[in-house]
Amino acid sequence: MTTFRKHSSSSFNFAVNFSLVADVISTVEFSHSGDLLATGDKGGRVVIFQREQENKSRPHSRGEYNVYSTFQSHEPEFDYLKSLEIEEKINKIRWLPQQGAARFLLSTNDKTIKLWKISERDKRAEGYNLKDEDGRLRDPLRITALRVPILKPMDLMVEASPRRVFANAHTYHINSISVNSDHETYLSADDLRINLWHLEITDRSFNIVDIKPANMEELTEVITAAEFHPHQCNVLVYSSSKGTIRLCDMRSSALCDRHSKFFEEPEDPSSRSFFSEIISSVSDVKFSHSGRYMMTRDYLSVKVWDLNMESRPVETHQVHEYLRSKLCSLYENDCIFDKFECCWNGSDSAIMTGSYNNFFRMFDRTTWRDVTLEASRENSKPRASLKPRRVCAGGKRKKDEVSVDSLDFSKKILHTAWHPVENIIAVAATNNLYIFQDKAN
Amino acid sequence: MEFKLEAHRIVSISLGKIYNSRAQRGGIKLHKNLLVSLVLRSARQVYLSDPCPGLYLAGHPGAPALPQQPGESVSGPPACWGEPPPPAACAAWPEPEPQLALPAVLEVPRAGDAEPAAPVTGAGDTLQGGEAEAAEAAWRRVEGPRETAVGGAGVPAGGSDIFPQGPGAARRPWGCPPGDEDKMSASPRVDGCRAPSPAGPEPPVPPAVCPRKRGAEGVGGGPADRPAPGSTPLKKPRRNSEEQSGGAAAAAAQEEEEMETGNVANLISIFGSSFSGLLRKSPGGGREEAEGEENGPEAAEPGQICCDKPVLRDINPWSTAIVAF
Repeated sequence: MTTFRKHSSSSFNFAVNFSLVADVISTVEFSHSGDLLATGDKGGRVVIFQREQENKSRPHSRGEYNVYSTFQSHEPEFDYLKSLEIEEKINKIRWLPQQGAARFLLSTNDKTIKLWKISERDKRAEGYNLKDEDGRLRDPLRITALRVPILKPMDLMVEASPRRVFANAHTYHINSISVNSDHETYLSADDLRINLWHLEITDRSFNIVDIKPANMEELTEVITAAEFHPHQCNVLVYSSSKGTIRLCDMRSSALCDRHSKFFEEPEDPSSRSFFSEIISSVSDVKFSHSGRYMMTRDYLSVKVWDLNMESRPVETHQVHEYLRSKLCSLYENDCIFDKFECCWNGSDSAIMTGSYNNFFRMFDRTTWRDVTLEASRENSKPRASLKPRRVCAGGKRKKDEVSVDSLDFSKKILHTAWHPVENIIAVAATNNLYIFQDKAN
Repeated sequence: MEFKLEAHRIVSISLGKIYNSRAQRGGIKLHKNLLVSLVLRSARQVYLSDPCPGLYLAGHPGAPALPQQPGESVSGPPACWGEPPPPAACAAWPEPEPQLALPAVLEVPRAGDAEPAAPVTGAGDTLQGGEAEAAEAAWRRVEGPRETAVGGAGVPAGGSDIFPQGPGAARRPWGCPPGDEDKMSASPRVDGCRAPSPAGPEPPVPPAVCPRKRGAEGVGGGPADRPAPGSTPLKKPRRNSEEQSGGAAAAAAQEEEEMETGNVANLISIFGSSFSGLLRKSPGGGREEAEGEENGPEAAEPGQICCDKPVLRDINPWSTAIVAF
């Protein structure tokens, strides 16, 4: 399992670095089995990586992720009615559980969700009667004999085709999609509403949460993230910009404006500042694999909540507390609005989230140890262990420590993903994707 | 004093952010603008609550900080129309598309809340009770003497000119329903089990005629240029925006919902009107201060002189800084 409890350093190594020069990565997601890794970028492209099979002749390449498929998921659009340009940036990708040979994923930009089918083709039919090998039609009058086409192997071709387009359901910007455990429905959430869709039906959706006030002047909070429970298909949670999380049960009422549970930690009055409200805004919410816990990410910390206790989180992990004194500068340069994501490992024993300077943080929930690692080319040679990093908040800077003032705030790790089973992590650093694996593997 | 300066600085930064957000790709981000408006409120509260005798705050009823119309009495909220904007700001609006709708400064009313639509406004007034009446009274009182003094240089403009006027002359037609968000959506709320709320699709919000758009006829003109009946329609949106005490985020949300255009000036006018609620000290009070402030950055944009000296002199230092910004 995670071995960084034994050493002060993590044994994550084996960095595989892919440079996606075109664009900033905006989402990263492993498939349910972990053999595929999808990334979306600001240019509306989706790039899928596939893990190489174990190969005795090339033992070192075991577990490498290589590009499997690339396609343009969303294009920039213009809403003529509102004179608004709709960005093609992929906000979220979510895989559907595999049901056949083909793979399906949902990708969304601000306004439109698309269901993509990714299928392999490794055979080609040859020997058609009505057309020859080039595809040109043969003159039927010249055909004197009939033959049965036969399938011949060909180079593997991976095709991505859009199977459904779910559009025109969101007035505001979509921030989340989540596939239900029933494998038939999914939710999409924007700033003020959450809609429920059936994967087969594109021309209608059910609105299940609507927090838009009748008088927009009274608007005080927006929805920031939403997710279905991993096992209970009637349960979903959504987080708000006020730092609260609401759990809704679709069985209790069709419209889930009233929550079943309300999770909020009372604010510490001693830490009140101009920016208290901003930093309490939850940027991501994720259920644990077990379904017993959920994790929320706000600007400075990650909190683990027990679904049975609404009054406060059971764990709070500080990600970069040294930034608390810099909030004004971070407000000026807009960094305070960065939306960091967080993720669980497969056994829910560890959690991971990103920070600045291409740092990312891992917290072991059982040993309560944490580590800061860096995703950068200079520091990651293949098969070398990642060295833990330390940030010096003040006072004398020790050797190898990085001082807060020298942090590069343009290098932010917003999107990370953890393999559902193994200790493999994917870390998106602007337009580079890093994949690290645990030495023990 | 330090808190005041810090708050001042934060307000400047926040205003800049909201101002710049109009230009970003993909439309206004509701979440970010909401957060910025919250910071604005916090900073404003600190600024207003930090006792500092040196700084004089406009916004007290009857405050002489800003020129008033002769005979104008500024009584309590929300009748603070006495504050004229920097008059040259009236001319500061390049209006390439004056016919574009000003989305939702007006509010979409709850079903049942809608007042009977005045012919010029259409549905969509969300004035609440007494406040509305007071506003209405204030408006009428204010706009009477105002009509005669329009946007002349150095002369405080009339009530309708509180917002900077653009040179665009055409007044937008009333009652054109902007895209209703539910109608635009191809997915109607299909749910046999749940009571639709609000009942049916939201009534369309008419595009408010932006007072700024009176532009050419308003600026530099004398009384003859301002037809009295013509100014009547302009009262309505003004009053409505007066009533709104919400922040820029709300305006941004309105933008999202009913927005028909991305017209820059429209956006600024929305933010401008919403700031009045943010920045005034008491409900309805302090409009003077707000007007001065919001007009500053916006008027400055086209590069024209936005404030005449007499006006500048009278605006408190805080407003001056914002204006300069």
